[in-house]
Amino acid sequence: MKLAVFVSDFRITVNTLDRLKAQELGIIFVGNGIYHAALKEDGNPSPLLQKSAKFYVLSEDLETRGLSSSGIANNIKVITYSDLVDLIFNEYEKTAWL
Amino acid sequence: MGKLTIGCFSSLIGSMNLDFAIKLCALALEKGHKVDLWVSGNATMLSIKGQKPFKDYSHLEKPLKELMAKGLNVAVCEACAEARGYHKDNTLEGFKRHSMDWYLASTFDADRVLHIGGE
Repeated sequence: MKLAVFVSDFRITVNTLDRLKAQELGIIFVGNGIYHAALKEDGNPSPLLQKSAKFYVLSEDLETRGLSSSGIANNIKVITYSDLVDLIFNEYEKTAWL
Repeated sequence: MGKLTIGCFSSLIGSMNLDFAIKLCALALEKGHKVDLWVSGNATMLSIKGQKPFKDYSHLEKPLKELMAKGLNVAVCEACAEARGYHKDNTLEGFKRHSMDWYLASTFDADRVLHIGGE
């Protein structure tokens, strides 16, 4: 199963994601979840980015919080709402919201 | 084209999850998909008419009405609404009021489901 997980909170831990099993995993950072993509703690990126997954971050939610896509790591794709609709329908079979 | 069902349980004021849901509805409709939106729990406050727009507060009545005109199918959990004192005569025009079986039926014939939990 191809699973897209929406991470909407900065407090989500790797343990939460480890309980989800998927053949292909996509992690989409939205809302306050975008801080996983944009911030480092003590110089280290979010542990969520160590997961074996494709990563996406919603550009509008970055901008809402005064951040830009320029500081986002190369392995995280910056997407629009339009891209998000295509991901949901074309790339992943199921979704989960955390 | 497919059908997307979104269930949202988050309040209008407090998180931006309802804003997210409405924007996702807009783009999915724009791309020709059919969209059902179910609001339950604290998200039922979206169904109340006559809310005043204030700076920095989410106010979704206008975009919601525009989306309903474009075919968005939206329903509110009647029990959740009544439990909060949101009665039928205070409901936005176009909002359906149903029990949870409406949401379940919608998810069963949807191509994709996004369930956004509450606080």
